[in-house]
Amino acid sequence: MLSLRNLVKVYPGPVTALRGVDLEVPRGMFGLLGPNGAGKSTLMKILSGLLEPTSGEVTLDGLDLVRHPEALRPHLGYLPQEFGFYPYLSGQDMLRYLLELKGVTAPQGLKALCAQLLERVNLTFAAKRKVKEYSGGMRQRLGIAQALAGNPKLIIVDEPTAGLDPEERQRFYRLLAEIAHERTVLLSTHIVEDVAMLCPRFAVIRQGRVVAITSPSEAKAALLDTLYEGTVPPADMDSFQQAHRVTQAVLFEGRNRVRIHAPPGVPVPPGFERTPPTLEDAYLLLMKDAPGPSAPVPPSAPAVGA
Amino acid sequence: MNLSRLLHVARTEWRHQVRRPLFWVLLVLLVFVTWGVSSGNVTIESGSTEVGGKKAWATSGFAVAQTVLLLTFLLFTFFVSVGAGMAIISDDEARVQPLLHTTPLTPAEYVWGKFLAVLGAYVTALAVMMGLLVFFHHVVPSGAAAEFRGPFVLEHYVRAAVWFGLPLIVFMAGAAFCVGERTRRAVPVYFLPVGLLFLCAFFLWDWSPGWLDPRVNRFLMAVDPGGFRWLTETWIKVDRGVDFYNTQPVGLDALFVISRFVLMGLGLGAVAWSERHFRRMLRGDAGAKSSRASRDRMEAPPAQVALSHAEAPLSALGMGVKPPGFWAGLWTVTRAEARGLLSQPGLYLFLPLLMFQMVSQAATATGPFDTELLLVPGRFAVRSMNQASVLVCLLLMFYGVESLEREQACGFAPLHDATPVRTLSVLLGKALANSLVAVVLLSAMAIAGTLVQVSQGTVPLSLTPYLLVWGLLLMPTFFLWMGFILAARAVTGGRFGTYALALGALALTGFLAVRGDLTWVTNWPLWGAVRWTDLGAFQVDRSALVLNRVAVLGLAVFFTALAVRLDGRRAHDAVTTLEALNPSGLARGAWRLAPYLVVPGVALVSLGVLVGQGYQGAAAKLRAKQYWQKNLATWKDAPQPALVDVDLDVDLEPEASAFRTRGTYTLVNRQATPLARFALSGGDAWKDVRWTVDGKDAAPEDRSGLYVFTASPPLEPGATLKVGFEFQGHVPDGVSREGGLLKEFILPSGVVLTSFEATFAPVVGYQEERGVDPKENRYEPRVYPDDFYVGPTEAAWGSGTPFTTRIRLSASEAYTLNSVGVRESDTVKDGRRTTVWRSDHPVSLFNIVAGKWDRVAGEGTEVFHHPAHGYNVKEMSRGLEGARRYYSEWFHPFPWAELKLSEFAGLDNYAQGFPTNITFSESIGFLTRASPEVNAVLLVTAHEAAHQWWGNLLIPGKGPGGDVLSEGMSHYASLKLIEQLDGPEARRQAARGMETRYAKDRRVDGERPLVKLDGSREGDTSVVYEKGGWTFWMLEDLMGRPAMHAGIQAFLKRYMNDADHPVLQDFLAVMRPFAPDAAAFDAFTRQAFFEVVVPEYRVTEARVTKEGAQWVTTATVTNAGTGRMPVEVAVMKGERPVSLPTQTAPAADFHEARVRVEPVAGAGARVTVRSDFAPERLVVDPDVRVLQLRREQALAPLTAP
Repeated sequence: MLSLRNLVKVYPGPVTALRGVDLEVPRGMFGLLGPNGAGKSTLMKILSGLLEPTSGEVTLDGLDLVRHPEALRPHLGYLPQEFGFYPYLSGQDMLRYLLELKGVTAPQGLKALCAQLLERVNLTFAAKRKVKEYSGGMRQRLGIAQALAGNPKLIIVDEPTAGLDPEERQRFYRLLAEIAHERTVLLSTHIVEDVAMLCPRFAVIRQGRVVAITSPSEAKAALLDTLYEGTVPPADMDSFQQAHRVTQAVLFEGRNRVRIHAPPGVPVPPGFERTPPTLEDAYLLLMKDAPGPSAPVPPSAPAVGA
Repeated sequence: MNLSRLLHVARTEWRHQVRRPLFWVLLVLLVFVTWGVSSGNVTIESGSTEVGGKKAWATSGFAVAQTVLLLTFLLFTFFVSVGAGMAIISDDEARVQPLLHTTPLTPAEYVWGKFLAVLGAYVTALAVMMGLLVFFHHVVPSGAAAEFRGPFVLEHYVRAAVWFGLPLIVFMAGAAFCVGERTRRAVPVYFLPVGLLFLCAFFLWDWSPGWLDPRVNRFLMAVDPGGFRWLTETWIKVDRGVDFYNTQPVGLDALFVISRFVLMGLGLGAVAWSERHFRRMLRGDAGAKSSRASRDRMEAPPAQVALSHAEAPLSALGMGVKPPGFWAGLWTVTRAEARGLLSQPGLYLFLPLLMFQMVSQAATATGPFDTELLLVPGRFAVRSMNQASVLVCLLLMFYGVESLEREQACGFAPLHDATPVRTLSVLLGKALANSLVAVVLLSAMAIAGTLVQVSQGTVPLSLTPYLLVWGLLLMPTFFLWMGFILAARAVTGGRFGTYALALGALALTGFLAVRGDLTWVTNWPLWGAVRWTDLGAFQVDRSALVLNRVAVLGLAVFFTALAVRLDGRRAHDAVTTLEALNPSGLARGAWRLAPYLVVPGVALVSLGVLVGQGYQGAAAKLRAKQYWQKNLATWKDAPQPALVDVDLDVDLEPEASAFRTRGTYTLVNRQATPLARFALSGGDAWKDVRWTVDGKDAAPEDRSGLYVFTASPPLEPGATLKVGFEFQGHVPDGVSREGGLLKEFILPSGVVLTSFEATFAPVVGYQEERGVDPKENRYEPRVYPDDFYVGPTEAAWGSGTPFTTRIRLSASEAYTLNSVGVRESDTVKDGRRTTVWRSDHPVSLFNIVAGKWDRVAGEGTEVFHHPAHGYNVKEMSRGLEGARRYYSEWFHPFPWAELKLSEFAGLDNYAQGFPTNITFSESIGFLTRASPEVNAVLLVTAHEAAHQWWGNLLIPGKGPGGDVLSEGMSHYASLKLIEQLDGPEARRQAARGMETRYAKDRRVDGERPLVKLDGSREGDTSVVYEKGGWTFWMLEDLMGRPAMHAGIQAFLKRYMNDADHPVLQDFLAVMRPFAPDAAAFDAFTRQAFFEVVVPEYRVTEARVTKEGAQWVTTATVTNAGTGRMPVEVAVMKGERPVSLPTQTAPAADFHEARVRVEPVAGAGARVTVRSDFAPERLVVDPDVRVLQLRREQALAPLTAP
């Protein structure tokens, strides 16, 4: 179990990136959802031991990771949002180097293991090619291979599907789902669909605070029978938004296809029909409802629909 | 090209360049440096050093040019290279290229805009520098440098900036820009200034032997990007006088102007080349691998590129984790770093340059009299230590910093830092891999040295000295430096901060070195501290050397520990960092690091104590100063008794550097009045000193080392007394302050002790030089009246009249023990050798030299040499025999039975001709490289052997011109002996060498006539030796050989064993009656001895016509120098036959015809030479018989019709 207690990070400026994050991350897949600049990457860096928090606690199975970040490293698989490799090494040499730095062992030997891992991420064909010749997607896949190496207890993946095509993305998620049975996998993303697909539970972070901890089904259930969809002429859109809680608005055939949140008691505009909620509706409503920067951080963030 | 866009790029980049710390650091440095040079530290080496003498101005055109080119070269090249070379690399790292080049911006606008911005920034800095120079020289001038300051002449500054500063900046900016653009790597960019510094400072600016072909010299001038070689060779090498330098602008010639334009053209061409490459790369034409396999790989993507198609679960791979231990991590990181290192082109580019430099340096190493030296591995290893340490430290800095930055630069840091490998393994792995640079460079240097050794084919190959010197001494320096780099990077957290700290540390060390303030405590790179001798390595200052290396290694560990502590792979939080900086936090941090400081701390403190207590330490310096302070006024010119007999027992313990002396001096009062008091100078470090007078215990007054005896009753004129003494001591007594040269020593490798200083025996009277510090209490030399030599003149050295000696030496039986006179006995008892030497003819000086030698005996001569140094012994023996035979015929019969020459460890470079017992440092003669053209071995042997006559049999008088009778006469004797033994061509070569050295080392304004030389001015040495020797040779030419010999013999008879010691005026007075033509003698000696004149002949309007069967050559020979000497002019055809013993005279078709002219100074003489052959060239002074300047101009090629 990965536990975060009152985690605060203040950058010089001062810019407060995390405002007291409390989180319990159980074994399995766990999503961290939030918009850009919410503090996700800062949180990922702290968890992976690359950044010292200003205050707070992080423990993994009772191990204090703030004071002993090195204790986590043998058990960590980390795929950061942005990374690179030594350009002068080939893919297999680069992977092997990382495996050696991690101390990964395998009965078949590191060379064979490298080949197997590269095969898993379909890079066998480019194993001997210099990394500087890799495309963005190939580089990302090499990153995934190294993150999976060594049976890590905790895998942290930060926006992992950037650069992957849809098919690769699906396959990578399948891989993550497979390995998440035996360990904690923390997936940080701003793509709601990814969380919906993979994570039985997730936390929503906004402006350095956890504003919700829930599951996709709970989040959607909380909005059941409260979402309506209809069309609004573009000219009326501004006034409509002021009058209703719009969750999403997309242009469709020159008109706004709009979804609104209307709990019981709130009048529904004419022409709007009830529609099943999506996780995206829940996420976007949370982004609208969450407390602002000046609001106090609750000791335990309310779970939507809990 | 759109000008607006280009200017926009340039403006943006210019703003970036002038705002970055790099630029401001340069400006700050410029402020300090220009302020420093305004104090008169950078002037042309001309003028007088005397108080009130004419000084070279720091503001003259030449001085400003020199300042600008040096500052531009030493400072700007580094900064410009980084600024220009990193311009495109930085954009790459910022990943802005894709955005920029999807705009209408063209590659040409981008590349030229960037380049012009960098160029503009550094040209601005150049302008600032010029402004600062003007400001400090003329607006707020230093009061202390008033005599070095001339009027403000704008032209001087403008010309210097335009011709010396600007071309170099354009070239460096263009070249660095090109290297950065093409390689996209930082290290090759940094190689540029380092390589250039190396090439220029250690080769182009330094290497200029007298025999260098003028065409090669001009080529080297043209390729020197700094222009320093051109300035030196064209204007400064031959001194033109302070007035010339102070008032004239730097005259430019076509070679220089063209080379400046070519230099700028190369810089701009490099940018154009970069632009072409950049454009092609954007189009995808360049940068990709060109190999077919690579293209195939790129062109044929696999059928299946999806992420995973493996069905087996990940757990099936059976992976586990065992965090790597220290060694495993170290090995892993080292291997990967080494691969990165070897993938960079810089090392491969630099190696040939380094090897070329080392080969040329090794092959052209010269000793005294510019004699070439044999390459001995140990000496080569030590000689190259300074260069190696500077170069490798710079490269380690660049490689190290870029290696530490690599993870950040390529984005690998998050993955790398999240691995469990230990930080110490990472840092040490990087350091270790980068140390490969040092190993590769040192190996290349060793290979270069070995190649030269093989080509010389004399000295056997050996790797041990390289391992010993570079392995044991240099490697700790590199460990410390890498540790420091790691710590600097950890502290500053970035590339440029680390560079600033590291360059600052190097500059500070260099500053201390230049000021002479480095000691064993602070000299971490061992610059100039170590000497090598084949006779026994590192026997001097060994304890200091060991402690210094221990301290350096300890500091390396400390800095590494500091780096590990500060260089956490986790980014520290600002708040917690601030908390850690409170006093208790700092104390805790310091306490944790304290254990690492124990070893270096103890070593450094011990070193400090050793140095302080050593023979150059503060206490010793104070004692010497007290000797001077207490006795100067009373005893400097006080009358003293003279030595008539010396009886010494000296027990030597070379393993302990110890000696014990017992003995007596028999002193006589040669003064006209009784002597109530007299003084003997004792050694500073003598222990258990006991004195007796006429066998009775005596207690002289100890005036800080000057023992003053009161004779009771006073010693009457002609009366004698015996002073007995007994003491013991060490030589050297403790360690030195900073290493370096050592004149006298008792070491396991051998012993050298002389009676010049009070080291192993007392010196009669007060010692003038003792306690005089050049910076604190040096006074100007005595001014003598013109007739100072009339009446008895004091001896220049020794006690005035020769005396007898008996010297009994004892040491371990392995040593041969030599001293003056004949060996009376040589016995070995209980493993201890005792040798007794007795003078078979009176001597004026005595010495002791001991060693473990081989002996080569000749006719009345012996050469004692280190068993491995037999290379030149035969030649030295021949020279010694020849000297003994011919000098006896020419000058005076050799009065002693034996003439010995003994080798001593090369801890100093000198040779001394004590009576019967000559000593040579190993680098003189024994390791001299004889060439068919110049028999350097014979030259040095002949010179030192001549001192048996000129310096021992005849002791010159104390005062101006005295030294010329010793050194000049010995040089003259050498020329005669060389011609006698090896023929006229050998003499001509030797004479040319002397002439070149005279021209190079003289100071036009400071030079005085031979009769006025007292050795106190710069350039005096060259005049005494080279001009002195030449002048006597020309005198013989004038008088004729028999008359010269007769005159010299009469002179020696008159002054040997006399209380009146001669100077040049006495010599000329004796010689004149022997001159066949007294008027010519007077005319010559007036110019040569009493004036400073040197002809300089130039040939113009040379033309050949044919009249009947004859060819008639006409030309004008102008004397552009001074004086008026008769000189021969010859027309020649073919190569002159040579008669060197090592060469077979070619049976060439050689013809010559001569006439004699006497052009007066500043005027031309028309010459006509008729010949019955078609002449090919006209040569002034074909036999090298008239000393002149720029002999290379005194000839003209001829074209016969």
